[in-house]
Amino acid sequence: MKVILKIRRFNPERDRAPWWGYYQVECEPTDRVLDALNWVKWYQDGSLAYRRSCAHGICGSDAMRINGRNRLACKTLIKELGNRITIEPLLGLPVIKDLVVDLEPFMKHYRSIMPYLVNDDPPPATERLQSIAQRERFDDTTKCILCAACTTSCPAFWARPDYIGPAAIVQAHRFIFDSRDHGAEERLRILDAPSGVWRCRDIYNCTEACPREIQVTQAIAEVKREILRRRG
Amino acid sequence: MRGYRVGLWEALRYRGGIGVLVWILHRITGLGILLFVSIHVVAAFFMNALNDSISTAVTHWYESHPVQVFVYFCVLYHALNGLRVLLEDFYPPLLRYHRELIWLQWAIFVPVFGLPAFFIAQGIVLGTP
Ligand code: FES
Repeated sequence: MKVILKIRRFNPERDRAPWWGYYQVECEPTDRVLDALNWVKWYQDGSLAYRRSCAHGICGSDAMRINGRNRLACKTLIKELGNRITIEPLLGLPVIKDLVVDLEPFMKHYRSIMPYLVNDDPPPATERLQSIAQRERFDDTTKCILCAACTTSCPAFWARPDYIGPAAIVQAHRFIFDSRDHGAEERLRILDAPSGVWRCRDIYNCTEACPREIQVTQAIAEVKREILRRRG
Repeated sequence: MRGYRVGLWEALRYRGGIGVLVWILHRITGLGILLFVSIHVVAAFFMNALNDSISTAVTHWYESHPVQVFVYFCVLYHALNGLRVLLEDFYPPLLRYHRELIWLQWAIFVPVFGLPAFFIAQGIVLGTP
């Protein structure tokens, strides 16, 4: 099938404003949007810039707005979209070139919640054991690949870039409810700030955008509950 | 480096789910209530203090049937939607049924709003007070 890709292009060294590039590509319906982008880059216009690495929905590099919604190009089939496909960079993060955005503001929020195990107890001889139920408690949020699809789909983040955003809260959730971790108090204090969880309005764009099908809004609500529970 | 504030046009172009629409309507109805209460308070004050023609006209306006229907819409929607958000926040597993809860909310809203609104509208058409 013939597919027209309409891609938002912008090279800050050359362009004064973003513009639309149109590319005709011959695809199979079962091809992915990433295949079509690769075709454009390899055979039509080598100056097109986008990120991709694993091409299998694992590394989180190629989140972009496809037909108006955040998705991973490597997990979205052409047949889900039809033969006119609009591709734009993620919203709310500065564009470096074409579909490549500067993820630093996103990563800054991520780092702020201490995304690592905090436990100063002397390491046990074998492992820090957990029951199945304890592991199950945060299983959903371990699936995050930091693609930024959730945070950049959130109207609260669009309005206030200082909002820590769904992805950072998901990552915090992963440790807050981990029985081996001792940093929950500190993380909840960070998330209780004005730029923390209370900016979430349960809009749900994040859950719908997540390519890993994480229940993002639920995780945020669980963190809100935990803050309230600990306040007593 | 900071993120940037997304403009209204770009934000509206994003194809979010039904959650965005109900959230926008929540904001609009909230503003509607605020507007009504403010106008009500100011007009009532001036009517008592001055009994002037402007505040009398404003009072007649907000007591008119179409405005009442609008205010009823705002209050009922804002209350029901707020209740749903509260329920979801206090019982997070409900968020897995976010869409279904929104449909349930509309299923309650439509008759509870529609019936009185119908009678008021009938009153307007038939000219009864
Ligand atoms: S390229 Fe790795 S997630 Fe798509």
